[in-house]
Amino acid sequence: MANFNPSNSVSFIPRKKILLTLGIISTVLFCLAPVFWQLLTSFKTNAAISTVPNIYFPSLEQLTFQHYLSLGSQFLRYIFNSAFVSIISTLLCLTLGAPAAYALTRLKLPGENLILVLILIITLFPYILLFMGLLELIKFFHIGNNYLALIIPYTAINLPLTILILRTFFQQLPKDLEDSAKIDGYNTLSMLLNIVLPLTFPALVTTGILTFIFAWNEFIFALTFITREDLYTIPVAVAQLGGASLLEIPYGPMAAATLAGTFPLIILVLIFQRRIVQGITAGAVKG
Amino acid sequence: MIFVKFKIPLFYKFILTSLIGVIISILMIKPAFTQQPVTLKVLVQALESTQWQPIINSFHQTHPKIRLEVVKAPNNSNLVEDLYTSAYLLGDSPYDLVYMDVVWVQKFAAAGWLEDLTKKVDPQKLTDYIQGDVQGGKYQNKLYRMPFRTDVGMLYYRTDLLEKAGLKPPKTFQDLLTTSQTLQNQNLAQWGYVWQGKQYEGLAAMFTEILQGYGGFWVNPETQAIGLDAPESIEAVNFLRQTIEQSISPPGVTTYAEEETRRLFESGNTVFLRNWPYVYALAANSPIRGKYGIQPMVNLPGKQSGACLGGWGFGISKSSKHQREAWQVIEYFNQPDIQRQYFLETGYVPSRKSLFTDDILVAKYNYLPALLQGAENAVLRPPIPQYAQVSDILQRYLSAALTGSKTPEAAMKEAARETRTLLNINE
Amino acid sequence: MNTNSLEKQEKRTGWLLISPALFMIALVFIYPILRAFSLSVFTQNLGTQLQPIFSGLNNYQRILADGRFWQTLWNTTVFTSISIILELILGLFMALILNQSFKGRGLVRTTALIPWALPTAVMGLAWAWIFNDQYGVVNDILQRLNIINSPMTWLGEPSRAMFVLIIADVWKTTPFIAIILLAGLQSVSQDLYEAHAMDGANSIQSFYQITIPLITPQIIIALLFRFAQAFGIFDLVQVMTGGGPAGATETVSVYIYATIRRYLDFGYGAALVVVTFLLLIVAVCIAAFFLSKLRVNMIGDQ
Repeated sequence: MANFNPSNSVSFIPRKKILLTLGIISTVLFCLAPVFWQLLTSFKTNAAISTVPNIYFPSLEQLTFQHYLSLGSQFLRYIFNSAFVSIISTLLCLTLGAPAAYALTRLKLPGENLILVLILIITLFPYILLFMGLLELIKFFHIGNNYLALIIPYTAINLPLTILILRTFFQQLPKDLEDSAKIDGYNTLSMLLNIVLPLTFPALVTTGILTFIFAWNEFIFALTFITREDLYTIPVAVAQLGGASLLEIPYGPMAAATLAGTFPLIILVLIFQRRIVQGITAGAVKG
Repeated sequence: MIFVKFKIPLFYKFILTSLIGVIISILMIKPAFTQQPVTLKVLVQALESTQWQPIINSFHQTHPKIRLEVVKAPNNSNLVEDLYTSAYLLGDSPYDLVYMDVVWVQKFAAAGWLEDLTKKVDPQKLTDYIQGDVQGGKYQNKLYRMPFRTDVGMLYYRTDLLEKAGLKPPKTFQDLLTTSQTLQNQNLAQWGYVWQGKQYEGLAAMFTEILQGYGGFWVNPETQAIGLDAPESIEAVNFLRQTIEQSISPPGVTTYAEEETRRLFESGNTVFLRNWPYVYALAANSPIRGKYGIQPMVNLPGKQSGACLGGWGFGISKSSKHQREAWQVIEYFNQPDIQRQYFLETGYVPSRKSLFTDDILVAKYNYLPALLQGAENAVLRPPIPQYAQVSDILQRYLSAALTGSKTPEAAMKEAARETRTLLNINE
Repeated sequence: MNTNSLEKQEKRTGWLLISPALFMIALVFIYPILRAFSLSVFTQNLGTQLQPIFSGLNNYQRILADGRFWQTLWNTTVFTSISIILELILGLFMALILNQSFKGRGLVRTTALIPWALPTAVMGLAWAWIFNDQYGVVNDILQRLNIINSPMTWLGEPSRAMFVLIIADVWKTTPFIAIILLAGLQSVSQDLYEAHAMDGANSIQSFYQITIPLITPQIIIALLFRFAQAFGIFDLVQVMTGGGPAGATETVSVYIYATIRRYLDFGYGAALVVVTFLLLIVAVCIAAFFLSKLRVNMIGDQ
């Protein structure tokens, strides 16, 4: 719980509270306003959606569940695919990234700065432009239409972010903790696992969530590398939604598919956001 | 020392799970097996692939040794083109048949991806097809694409509004402008003319029609002449600018694609719309049901009316190992009966001229004869391999002229110059 | 002797810990990047029947005269700079709020992440409709508030289109910065504030003298990644404007993508990739240089 002004005197509280409430409301409005529009669209009938001017408060007969129902049970399969790819690439990213970040922080490797610079430089490369080279690699290794074709690129694209963020957190840990652990006989690996990681769990959760969201919503690679229908991820499935004719943009089904497809993400974030709270646990260093 | 006894097992669980996931994925790598019977693959937009199902079923019944497998693509023709391109760039494309938009043909052919179909087709048979469609499928005088269905840009108009004002549907650009203004002044409609002005392929398509109506041209592939900076082109651009300046078209028309214009027209307060035939059926479910008509685009007196040719057709991959079977599929899809049934159900526009006047089809889609008129005047977008880039050049400069960032003359002159530079480089 | 073998063991452990990650990164990035560099000295397009023909620095010469490339570079620079400044300010604001404890904090935090969690393509369409001139929500509200008399065209006018694009991007990516800064804020110990307050500092001074310096690493990382992401932006532009009007919102990635995938001009596309990449590296180097000077100053003050 971080307050700006811990020494609360009574006259301060109302002003802080008002500012805070305003801040919260504006944040929520800012984030949710366009989402409300999508939510509304996903429940409106097609006629209501195409009515101009816009209907902000649809009457009951302008509402329908049709768009959600039309997604079909296939959609669950797509959710599974997205989930599989996202979970595995996130876990892989953390598994590879945490040790790497630790090594770059505490251990004095020769060429450490070079590695950091290389990672930084690679970050600057717009990932979209990787697709031609990756296409060839995927063909070469025969992993087209395989989850690996997505898992590996997603992991690699998010590794720089993971490593750099975790590194800043590792750097901010007080060294005494690890020094005393060393004296107690911990080697590097167990120190990492038993001490450092628990203390930087917020950072792990943060990068995990960011990686997961990236993998979940990524489109171009998922479109190009996977052509089997039973392996589609959600963005690809949404792109295939059609209206009555080829040029028609089906706003209703698209809104429904988007919200249904993002719903698992939201649940995930809701569960994990509590873990971002864990600060440096008290009493850890007092020994 | 007190430390937090944190979940060590959790991290090991991380590692274990990710390893398992990777192993599962590796196990799923299947080597390719050759299959009996012969399987042909084609990539088609998801919506249309569902519409093909009856044809595919009957094809399987009459051709038991061939299986046609349709891979679904997003409902976005740019993405479909990208997918075909990536497949070809990798070497042996998994697609035996190619379902192509008319503007891809020259590019794919020049890249060496398509099989020459000229010898497979009887030239007599080709005369039943709309000539523009056949021409659009050719590159260096060889046929690479058999037309399947067409699209032509047309002018929609509100029959009821014209009647109220006692006016007839316009024949010339000037008619269009004055009719619109009359109706707007009488408060019968808010907007007169609505067209696609967003910077995208549809803008180029729409523009070719206006260009044709003014007697101009874009690129002449034979003479390698560029017509963009000719006076006719500049007049064409001026016409479009006029509609915006005189409030005949909403200023936002420079952001509209097909769907926005359709919705505007269907909401009832626009007199004229330029769009593809697909609007006709959809508008029957809107407030303007029964109150609209369709006709070829207007033109200058003495010049030809322009209808931009769109549409899809079949090609065969050069790298396909089943050329004969692929051709059988194409022949099957081209049978008049099969086509008649397909167009009856879907409402797409045929490419065979005879189907435009077919009784069964006309009974359901009474606008087909009007479309035939448009189709026979169809103007092709330049059938050159570099079309994509040429189109982008026109789009950008035309958009600059339409939004007022450049004068029409300056914009068109630069567009012409850039196009000339491009085509010379690639010579 | 002992320290030597300890050091050696440390080095070995270090390499063991870092190699899997490096291998993964190399696997995905090295080949495409090297390929881009090597292809850039060849001409491979429809004119050469898609065969690579060595052409030396031809492609680079062509880039110098390519007005469209420089315009996209300019567009992207404008977009990136304005975006990340806005996102940083809003993101910091959001992170500070989310750091407070209040009822329903969990829900608000989740809400704050939603813009980042929604797929770009669909939200792009939604934004385009929101800013539609005839029926968009924005014009509707502005007219009701009597701020404008007649509907404004947003996406149809070059600078306004850029404005809308920036808004859509800031909306989407502010949570990204917020969540990184939030994680940083979480690690700042309460004791520091208490001690500072006892020295007589008010909350604003605490903010500048404690909060900002302590989350500076996170700020820098967030800015770096946002810079790279914003410069490489693709999906949002494709969906909302396609690069228009008049190419005013075309970003570098959109141009390069079209060059490679639609024009099939591979050699030239590779050269564009190389030039963009090098320019980005130079930009970051310059920023890093100024940053190190700033850091020296900050440490000096403390």
